[in-house]
Amino acid sequence: MTETVIDVIFDILVILLLISGAFFIISATIGVIRFPDVYTRLHASTKAATLGISGILIGAFIFLYANHGIISGKLILGIIFVLLTAPVSAHMIGRAAHSSGVEPWSKTGETRDEYAEIKNKGS
Amino acid sequence: MSEFASFLPDLISVITVICMVVVTISITILLYRVVKGPTNPDRAVALDAIGINLMAMAGLVAILLTSTQLNDVILLIGILLFIGTIALAKYLEKGVIIDRNRD
Amino acid sequence: MPLQIILNLIIAIMWMFLSESYQFTSFLTGFIIGALLLYLLQRFIPDAFYLSYVWKIIKLLFLFAKELVLSNVEIVKWVYKRGRDYNPGIFAMPTDLRTNWEITMLTSLISLTPGTLSVAISDDNNMIYIHAMDIDDKEEAILAIKDTFEKAIMEVTR
Repeated sequence: MTETVIDVIFDILVILLLISGAFFIISATIGVIRFPDVYTRLHASTKAATLGISGILIGAFIFLYANHGIISGKLILGIIFVLLTAPVSAHMIGRAAHSSGVEPWSKTGETRDEYAEIKNKGS
Repeated sequence: MSEFASFLPDLISVITVICMVVVTISITILLYRVVKGPTNPDRAVALDAIGINLMAMAGLVAILLTSTQLNDVILLIGILLFIGTIALAKYLEKGVIIDRNRD
Repeated sequence: MPLQIILNLIIAIMWMFLSESYQFTSFLTGFIIGALLLYLLQRFIPDAFYLSYVWKIIKLLFLFAKELVLSNVEIVKWVYKRGRDYNPGIFAMPTDLRTNWEITMLTSLISLTPGTLSVAISDDNNMIYIHAMDIDDKEEAILAIKDTFEKAIMEVTR
């Protein structure tokens, strides 16, 4: 009896993790479509996609452990790898966008960009 | 209770298929951004997000097939995605990927 | 610090030989006993107890995870809100951290916090340029980053 209870708890956990992961991934996509410029799109794609992939991979790990007794450390390694590399790639794309001359979008029309001010002063 | 417990594995596979459909829709929407994207950095962002979605897709297929063979695929997609994004960003910034004079 | 780790490993292996069971569980038991001994005898060993350092790293990792979840909830709110009632912009933040390693950790943490994304670092390593979703509360963001992240990183590295 106790085994079935634990199985049910694990299964419900897997379902919740999968649904939340898919929700965060589709939110990241909608953010990439809806936001007005590169930097805001980077906000959406780094943060929401990272949590979405962590949710789905942790769900897969728990599923493989609970139903088949397989402990696969590679999934955990994949999560750690994504967590480490997502900010770095975001930083690189942001810097590349800035140096290729993309201006930040602004609601009021005047862009606030202290980095561009300092770069212009230096040159 | 026991009927509920026997019902859950089917539910998991149904949910997995639904999540796969959601991820597929997400990749399709991102392809629009890759094609349309006003500037090149936009395309880089969208390609990065597509890579993340592919990783999620491989994880979902691993659940559906209950195999561990796809774990290597997940790690490899992650590594290639990181290298590709860095190379693309360097190309957009400097016009070359491998520069000889280090600064 | 290396001395303490070596002492701990030697105690663990000696425990394994003394109890004559060459398995991972007995090694783990020996490791825990060694850590306990080092904690009790820390007055006679140079340097601070090394597991307190490990504990600080674990605390930094937990901070990272908490901020990640919070920032995701924030960004999902921005995504589904009707209209564009945010005002993005880039601001500069002075930092006290010096080495490349510290600055890499700080920029990663900044990129995964609510509403901020590091864009560039100045050549002399003392300014970080941050893109914020809402630039109107930039003072608040600078204070939060200085208070939590810089302090946590400094506790680990200094």
